[in-house]
Amino acid sequence: MDIQLYNITKHFGDVTANDGVSLDVRAGEVVALLGENGAGKSTLMKMLFGLYPPDDGAILIDGRETTIESPQKAMSLGIGMVFQQFNLVPALSVLDNLLLAYPKPPFWTFRRLFHTSPRKAVLTYLHELAPGLAPDTLVRDLSVGQRQLLELVKVLNLDAKVLILDEPTSVLPPQEAERLWGLIRKLAEAGRSVVLITHKMQDVMACAHRVVVMRAGRMVQTLTHEQCTESSLVSLMMGDSNQRSAIEVTPREAFANRPPRISIRDLDARHGAQSVEDIRLDIAPGEILGVAGVSGNGQHLLADALVGLTPLARGEVIIDGRVLQSASRTPSTSDRVSYIPEQPAVNAVAADLSLTTNVALSHFRSLRFFPAWTPEEQLTRKIIQRYQVRPDNPALAAGQLSGGNLQKLVVGRELEGDKDLVVAAYPTMGLDAGAAHDIYQALFAKAQEGAAILWISEDLDDLMSYAHRIAVLQGGRVSGIFDPRECDRLDIGRAMTGEHRPASTQQPPEQKPADSHARAVS
Amino acid sequence: MTSATQPVVKLGLQLLRGPAGAVLVMTAIFVVATLAFFAINGREAVSLFQEMVMGAFGDSYSFSETLVKTAPILLTALAVALPARLGLISVGGEGQLYLGALFGTGAVLAAVDQPGWILMPLMLAGSMAGGALWGVIPGLLKTRLGVNETISTLLLNYVGILLVSFVVHGPWKNPNSLGWPATIEFPAGAILPQFFDTRVHMGLVFGIVAAIVLHILVTRSRWGLGLQVSRSNPRVGATAGISYERNVLIVMAVGGLLAGLAGIAEASVIQNRLQDGLASGYGMTGFLVAWLAGQHFLRIIPLSVLMGGLLASADSLQLYAQLPKASADILQALLFIIVLAVASLWARRSNI
Repeated sequence: MDIQLYNITKHFGDVTANDGVSLDVRAGEVVALLGENGAGKSTLMKMLFGLYPPDDGAILIDGRETTIESPQKAMSLGIGMVFQQFNLVPALSVLDNLLLAYPKPPFWTFRRLFHTSPRKAVLTYLHELAPGLAPDTLVRDLSVGQRQLLELVKVLNLDAKVLILDEPTSVLPPQEAERLWGLIRKLAEAGRSVVLITHKMQDVMACAHRVVVMRAGRMVQTLTHEQCTESSLVSLMMGDSNQRSAIEVTPREAFANRPPRISIRDLDARHGAQSVEDIRLDIAPGEILGVAGVSGNGQHLLADALVGLTPLARGEVIIDGRVLQSASRTPSTSDRVSYIPEQPAVNAVAADLSLTTNVALSHFRSLRFFPAWTPEEQLTRKIIQRYQVRPDNPALAAGQLSGGNLQKLVVGRELEGDKDLVVAAYPTMGLDAGAAHDIYQALFAKAQEGAAILWISEDLDDLMSYAHRIAVLQGGRVSGIFDPRECDRLDIGRAMTGEHRPASTQQPPEQKPADSHARAVS
Repeated sequence: MTSATQPVVKLGLQLLRGPAGAVLVMTAIFVVATLAFFAINGREAVSLFQEMVMGAFGDSYSFSETLVKTAPILLTALAVALPARLGLISVGGEGQLYLGALFGTGAVLAAVDQPGWILMPLMLAGSMAGGALWGVIPGLLKTRLGVNETISTLLLNYVGILLVSFVVHGPWKNPNSLGWPATIEFPAGAILPQFFDTRVHMGLVFGIVAAIVLHILVTRSRWGLGLQVSRSNPRVGATAGISYERNVLIVMAVGGLLAGLAGIAEASVIQNRLQDGLASGYGMTGFLVAWLAGQHFLRIIPLSVLMGGLLASADSLQLYAQLPKASADILQALLFIIVLAVASLWARRSNI
């Protein structure tokens, strides 16, 4: 099946998401749609999948103009999409999830009469793609990679000829990403087309026949695989904004021989089914400690325990020689400890209160009993200006801003003032490259002022570029601590999935954190 | 239409779209519904309606009776509105009122021979402690065990009412009352001050002062900000160092304390003793008033007066028109439904 998108334009209010984009996808071809966040890649594909109608332009399928008004229509045409957010029922088994997504054959078709049991039908692709996966496993016990595979099987079961994958590798550890690339190549060889929405070079280099680069809603260029080099792609993606000022991190010499600003000693914490155990980490003043790991391996709980939102079951957190948290005390937060939680729009703002009020919350303890609002408003304006929060009215209720803008506001608020420790969980997730760049600059500038930074991220590239050390969380434990200058991505990947312990981390449970620290900074 | 009148008309329409229009429509619908209710009962609707209004606000005596009923409504409404500022739905005003009366009476009985300057503060302190206790218990159940505060306050109402019933039938029963379940009469030192030779008493002053103070605290102070934040997003509150648990106990205690004052005022001024059927549903009326006012402390004051008027006139309706006592409840229910419906309608329209 060949698909042509011709001159597609889409506006959301004043924002032009797609501006005259044309693209064709031929059978058996893997097309990578490359661009930064907000370049309009997902919007374009969501129009092909029938989620929104284009304002202008046409979609041609096998040469005939077709209106795709709903995802049902798209699926009946053989177009399937796997989203970044999985649409699975965790409490049900793999088989049940597949059956849920499998359409009942209409009563007038022969398929119904000669149908073997639907159980067998839904499992065909599963056996092919993941022979090792037992159909009665509960989805909640699956790894992220397996869940994604399951989503893919769901789409294949609908007989999709064109598969759209939205940022499929963003949640995967490196070796699972490699497995996915192989799978994509296999699907293409079998005559299906795959559209891969991505902002990662590796995806493109690994499996795309053709690369379409998008920037700010426009198609910049189409390249064949042979024409691509990473550097040419980067400059195409970034355009003029390539000349951004460099992001500076603290030089290692600055803290090489300093005692740790924060030391996490034998920390255990539990919350519901989640737990973290035996966490021992030291962070020097000015040091950026990256925390990698597949999401859901205790990152959230570790961050909550550090800042004082969850009681510790064991151990303590020491800051400059003072006890910040300990198992024997009620947890308490401090104005000198910043926390940028994941999904700030949900976890870090009071939606029905004004931006000014939300900014004032970061130093609530030092407000007067009848707070003076003028300085708070000035501070809010400053943050709004520095991080380009839109709309820029400090009196608006936080709920009236988009998630991305709230995220910028929260980052600005949390990096304001003197801080000993900054815990940042996915601070740039979902933001466009410009905003992410500003946030990294501000966050790492805090380190240069002497704060210890604990930076949780899923983006290995960013972690490798900026963190001084990378700790990997797996199953609630630190499964390895790496120096980004001398480690291999695959080592980190193995630590993330817990396949086997890489050589450098065989002794960590016994090893003193201070030693590993010294190793990393030496 | 001349061009000169056009801006006036425009302004008028604009006002109608705002809260003033809402109030106007509410009043109109309520008047029509009340007239219909009277007509269904086979009465002369218009004159009876006039009678009702006069019975509430017609002369100084009826107005004073309205204010007498306003006091407990106002105080119990505050007891609901304060927890609501933290997102708690308390329906415990009635029980807290009874406990206030119970503990206040206990203080009076214990110090019955003391002079007024000892007796009165003891009585008030007792009533506040009793009401606060009946607020703190559901507060503790909520913070320690996660028990839903609406259910626990609702059920504690019955316990409070029956506790009072128990003491007036049993240990505290006046032996000279010939079987009538009530305590002895309060001594003169335990009667709250009243004004202008009427039954209007200090309780009303407590209520108005409390409403104003709470309004300032909740809207202007850091503590009030903490309540708003905790209600909006408890996780954010915790991060900022605001203790949700402590605030739950504070609002429940302060709310209970105010309802407790209403209880002792009823016992002391209106009945001169503790007896069964002390409050006749003030707690529930207070709850509805708080919700009508959108938990806004200053709006609670006029609404309580209005509701007090409705209850006072129901007495006269019963007397003069021989309408059953339940008609007051029916009118009250009509008023609430109309106000809530019109308010929601206006809110929805302004959102579009």
